[in-house]
Amino acid sequence: MWVYEKRLEYPVKITKTCPKTAQLIITQYGGPDGELSASLRYLSQRYTMPVKAVGGLLTDIGTEELAHMEIICAMVYQLTKNLSIEQAKEAGFDAYYVDHTTALWPQAAANLPFTALEFQSKGDAITDLTEDLAAEQKARTVYDNLLRMIDDPEIREPLKFLRSREIVHFQRFGEALEKTKSQLDSKNFYYFNPEFDKEMYQKQP
Amino acid sequence: MSEQNLAIVTVPQQEWSTLYKEEDALNIGTIFPALNKPFFAGEAVMDTKSPVAKEQSGHEDILQKMQQLGFFLVDLGLYLATHETEQQAIALYHEKAQEYATLRRTFAKEQYPLTCLCVPYCTEKAELEFCLMEGPIPWEGAWV
Repeated sequence: MWVYEKRLEYPVKITKTCPKTAQLIITQYGGPDGELSASLRYLSQRYTMPVKAVGGLLTDIGTEELAHMEIICAMVYQLTKNLSIEQAKEAGFDAYYVDHTTALWPQAAANLPFTALEFQSKGDAITDLTEDLAAEQKARTVYDNLLRMIDDPEIREPLKFLRSREIVHFQRFGEALEKTKSQLDSKNFYYFNPEFDKEMYQKQP
Repeated sequence: MSEQNLAIVTVPQQEWSTLYKEEDALNIGTIFPALNKPFFAGEAVMDTKSPVAKEQSGHEDILQKMQQLGFFLVDLGLYLATHETEQQAIALYHEKAQEYATLRRTFAKEQYPLTCLCVPYCTEKAELEFCLMEGPIPWEGAWV
């Protein structure tokens, strides 16, 4: 269950139309390392997590990623708000315009549609948490790349905020992995799958 | 915890330390100095007021305060998910959550409700027009 709060996690106030930048940033909405992908990854993985606190963390981070998706969408929306046909053509935004006008549609910067093929929910706590660590790093790299290309502080500030969150989430997933490891035999973490071989895994509160 | 083993990732458990003030934390992106690791091309945003986060009116002021406090709770909440017995963190969470609840109530009374759970705090005029529809749409930004 979720309750919507009518505010952004970080404020977005962009005053200049720039479809070129919108086309780049949209990748963090529907791209391979985007916020939508992140949210669905964590919210899918949580059900079968053997450690209750880890399921709780996946819920919390999955929820924060939804707020990040909203920030990215607000940025794309504001960057294309008063778009003219000339601007769309000049920036190469015309193909997107033909398909979606200025509505939001989850896709990568290179026009690839959003797909669940970009993430995994594997049903093995060590595998999934290791994927989550990598996911946060991949998203950070995308923000690094965006920050190299974009000068406008109105756009940079929210991107810097989102980048910082990837680092914090990485740390938390690392701690979640340690929590999971502490319930397993350190001589061989891979002796069984804690999400499936329930008779071998002593469930901890 | 955090015992080193071959063929698996090891991440050390973060230890509790002094936090950023909530006014700074939102601009930095974390309440934890130990996790503030800026990108050189993104330069450090320490002790700077975000150019996009400045207040314009009284109601923007409360909203900004809520944004800062709300973020403080998000970041502290994630910390508590993996440090559930850290006494100072628990006490601080209770304190900030209380402060946030009060602000949310005041904002609903004076401006508009931020969530459906705030509807009971709206004033009498709320009976004439459904108050949940009031207030700007959050993604409009400066275009309101």
